Amino acid sequence: MSSWYNNRETQSDVVLSTRVRLARNLEGIPFPSRMTDTQKQELKEKVKQAIADSNTPFSKTLKYIDMQTIPQNEINAMVERHVISPEFAKNTDGRAIILSGDESISIMIGEEDHIRIQVILGGFQLEEAYDIAERIDTLLYSKLHFAFDSELGFLTECPTNLGTGLRASLMLHLPVIESRGEIAALGDTVSKIGFTVRGMYGEGSKAVASIYQVSNQITLGISEKNAIDNLKIIATQLIEKERSAAKELDSLKLEDMTYRALGTLKYSRIITSEEAMKLLSRIKLGQSVGILKENINPVELLINCQPYMLMRKYGEMEPYERDISRAEYLREALKDY
Amino acid sequence: MLCEKCGKNNATTHIRSVVNGVVKELNLCSHCAALEGYTGISHNSLAGMLASMLGDVTEHRTIAEKVKCPVCGADFHTIAESGKVGCAECYKTFRKELLPYLKRVHGSTHHAGKVPNSAPLAVVPQKETVEDLRFELNRLVSEEKYEQAAVIRDKIKKMEAENNE
Repeated sequence: MSSWYNNRETQSDVVLSTRVRLARNLEGIPFPSRMTDTQKQELKEKVKQAIADSNTPFSKTLKYIDMQTIPQNEINAMVERHVISPEFAKNTDGRAIILSGDESISIMIGEEDHIRIQVILGGFQLEEAYDIAERIDTLLYSKLHFAFDSELGFLTECPTNLGTGLRASLMLHLPVIESRGEIAALGDTVSKIGFTVRGMYGEGSKAVASIYQVSNQITLGISEKNAIDNLKIIATQLIEKERSAAKELDSLKLEDMTYRALGTLKYSRIITSEEAMKLLSRIKLGQSVGILKENINPVELLINCQPYMLMRKYGEMEPYERDISRAEYLREALKDY
Repeated sequence: MLCEKCGKNNATTHIRSVVNGVVKELNLCSHCAALEGYTGISHNSLAGMLASMLGDVTEHRTIAEKVKCPVCGADFHTIAESGKVGCAECYKTFRKELLPYLKRVHGSTHHAGKVPNSAPLAVVPQKETVEDLRFELNRLVSEEKYEQAAVIRDKIKKMEAENNE
């Protein structure tokens, strides 16, 4: 089954993925930071049971996994492919996850909130992703009692998520806007309308491969639909801007840069993930402007060549061995390109 | 310029906020700014923001020392320091202290999104009755939690006084 990053049909030139998450908490149990071990077990059981009891064709596709049964390397690989949050990976104690086969749905139990429903899809699919998350929310609500206040909405451990508990975020590839040094200004602009620009892995992460996440900050006093519509407007403008700015680039220089990147990726023997990601980002840009064909998906290669994703495929390795293995993987993937 | 809230003191805090494209300007004196939660503007972390409110408003300091959430036991000081609320009940216990902060973060204190309709009872928070509180009071006394019990006792007194009005 294809995940967000290896589904070529949904990929677009600028929007790499759409992620929607809903934060929910149960009534009568303290928020995760203050939960006892017994309460943690109780929470996992309740959510597991709620999914099992709902007995819909949809819920049958979901699988419950206790985080403590997953090896640490695989947990790190899950972060690299955006199935779980870096925060969720930090500690497995009392935590569990409910996953769909294609990993587009992940319900994190015991993160900063009792339940974090995440839906991640390839490309620009905000309504579709929200629709799925909303269905899971309704399904869970029919079995569990979520803490809800008529004035403040869904109650969350961090007051910044209060209200809808919704975080809608788009992962955008913005190499040209970035090269013009306009990312900081972009961040300032969107922050004025309640949005934020972050690096590839969200909060506190730096931008790798010109990939940025734009997401809503405000969750109280705004409906889910409005938050999503606003994000859509911002993204549409950014796509337009990135595309028109790319047209202004010197075409020969762009072509030179693209083929140099491809040359390195096709022939290197040792390559770090940072360099590989940077060069794959150039391949992506080269495809966007029509220099290269789109029969290779650079986003898939970019996700797969990260340290833990690589070890997931080829086994445990030291950093230097990984750099060799990564070069081999990329050479093989791009040999006919 | 005079403070737009009290109209007495000079406005020394000027707040410009843009929420959903609507620009709002507010000019307040330091006292009213503190009451609205606009203190320590330089703090950008949640914990910092909450802590600055807690430190600047004497009323909150008193509350932080005395009141503990009846469900999880968190006090406002701990919440402000960590930036994390203890449990759902904390939002009731410390509502007054949290509202200015929420207003500042979100520009609103009223939920405008999805209302779960599959369990209508949970949508409208049920009002605590004097009986509920008495039950709680007895429980706390039996557990020798006298500080928390005193808070409940005061709540009962206040409620009874209001009922008699």
